[in-house]
Amino acid sequence: MTDTKRTRIAIQKSGRLTDGSVKFLSSRGLRFQRNGRNLITPCDGAPCDVLHLRDDDIPEYVCRSVVDFGIVGENVLYEKNVRVRLLKRLGFSPCSLVIAVPQGSSIKVPEDLEGERIATSHPRLLTRFLRERQINAAIITIRGAVEVTPQLNLADAVCDITQTGTTLKEHALVPLTTVFESQAVLIESPFPKPDTMNLLSL
Amino acid sequence: MDDLIKPKILRGTRDFLPKDMAKRHLVMDRIRSVFVNFGYSAIETPAMEYAETFLGKYGDEGSRLTYTFKDKGGREVALRFDQTVPFARFVARYHKALPMPFKRYQISPVWRADRPGKARYREFYQCDIDIIGTKSLLAEGEIAKVMTVVFEALGFQEFVIKYNSRRLMNSILTTLDVPEERQVEVIRILDKLGRIGRGGVEKELSPHLSVETTRRLLDIIIREGSEAEKIRWLQAYDTKEIKDFLRICDAFGVPMEKLVFDVSLARGLDYYTGIVFEAFLTEVDIGAVCAGGRYDGLCSMFSRERFSGVGVAFGFDRIMLAMEERDMFRGIRLNSRVLVTYFDEATLPNALRILTDLQTARINAEIYFEPEKLGKQLKYADKKEIPFVVICGPDELERGEATIKVMKTGKQKTIPQSQLTAYLNGYTYD
Repeated sequence: MTDTKRTRIAIQKSGRLTDGSVKFLSSRGLRFQRNGRNLITPCDGAPCDVLHLRDDDIPEYVCRSVVDFGIVGENVLYEKNVRVRLLKRLGFSPCSLVIAVPQGSSIKVPEDLEGERIATSHPRLLTRFLRERQINAAIITIRGAVEVTPQLNLADAVCDITQTGTTLKEHALVPLTTVFESQAVLIESPFPKPDTMNLLSL
Repeated sequence: MDDLIKPKILRGTRDFLPKDMAKRHLVMDRIRSVFVNFGYSAIETPAMEYAETFLGKYGDEGSRLTYTFKDKGGREVALRFDQTVPFARFVARYHKALPMPFKRYQISPVWRADRPGKARYREFYQCDIDIIGTKSLLAEGEIAKVMTVVFEALGFQEFVIKYNSRRLMNSILTTLDVPEERQVEVIRILDKLGRIGRGGVEKELSPHLSVETTRRLLDIIIREGSEAEKIRWLQAYDTKEIKDFLRICDAFGVPMEKLVFDVSLARGLDYYTGIVFEAFLTEVDIGAVCAGGRYDGLCSMFSRERFSGVGVAFGFDRIMLAMEERDMFRGIRLNSRVLVTYFDEATLPNALRILTDLQTARINAEIYFEPEKLGKQLKYADKKEIPFVVICGPDELERGEATIKVMKTGKQKTIPQSQLTAYLNGYTYD
């Protein structure tokens, strides 16, 4: 049985945020085994466990107070729309959610998206963006490989995360506009335990 | 034919056109879903009952406004005047079979032979909730919570729930030596304070109370102050009920600033015995949109068993009017989202297949009934405010495609037929 008195912090198991998350925690003096076979690893000399999870599960875990803190991309946080407290933007793992169209597309400005199909795994952020600009378009929600949808005639545009722009370029997609600028954020459970350590003041 | 009957309706009654009904259903569904969310069960009682069930339960004025007539068998019959008295009759009849405490909601029309006017009809809807079979103040707290959730669900941010305690009123009147048999009448007159002012109330009280007692009573009741002050000034009287009520409301998460203590609030009806409520939408001058309170003896007219209950009625038609005035129905969808056009005989089976696919995906859709010119079919969509029209002629059919015309912009988009439902379901808004 795990000790519920110990503070639990969730970080991405393996991906864009993993290195930055580990660095951030070690800058606060928390040392632990990098994710090996164990999902939960204890910190050396601190009443604290680190959980290695899929990034899009982290907001749920924090919301349900299964873990006390989590480090997750701000885009994932908004997309999940769960009730957690955003403590701090951490400044690492920046990325952008952009709308991109195939080279030579008749879509030249965001307004041209009216009535078109946009494939994305970020339907909430995209809906908000389109509503703010009063653009009425069809959002096609898929989990991944968003960039291939135009060539399959499943979509006329994509709304996807990009860091360097390489993936877009490889699929002959041109960025049209930015929907959301994201970075790693530290989130806390909406029901903090009274004796949780204060991660920010460590 | 010059013996046609004029297609007129009775004063104070209304026909509702499709657009009216779309709005009414939207509001009714939201109110109902809040009631269901809090565990209230639906019941229904007959529109007409024995006149003796209703008469004498609403005071002289109420009896005068009750529609009564003789049925074909010569029985004295009355139309439902409200939903509370029929509910009391219902509880008296079925209480042994019902779970107690019993929570019910009822949404149905009532009839009153009133003079028709703004927001006053002879046939109108009430939405009632009642909790019967418990004296716990938690019931009052829940009713206050339901009121706030209903108003919020309808999109109102600005509202107040005024409340008072009949127990407190009686305690004040007893301290001022107002004889018990006069108290009901005095409370009824105090209830008019908002409408006729202090002067009017003084005049109406003069046959019942001395000038000095009237002055002292009105000084207690008309005193402006903060919520806490108002309650503190009444310390000498029975304020326990009100303090307990507030504590429960707070724990229930009812925003405290929405609760306004009003000693002059009395509710005209005789049967209230505890906390009474009246709720107002502060941005709309339309009177109370929800009212009710605690009653103890209501079923005693129909049963020897005693049941204490608490409940409120939402004035559905006033809420409708308020929402209309605040322009809260903008963008409401009236009916189908999609019209599938009837191109010609050859493509009709495909059109019907598209229609069925859309309907199976729970997209409200219909087909035009004649292979008319496209312009005429589009005009129909326009008049019926259908946002999307699906066109599939022989060329599109051959390529397995369909064209969607967005009525608002006139823009057309051709996509594979197999993607129609995903496309329409993905739309940001209509």
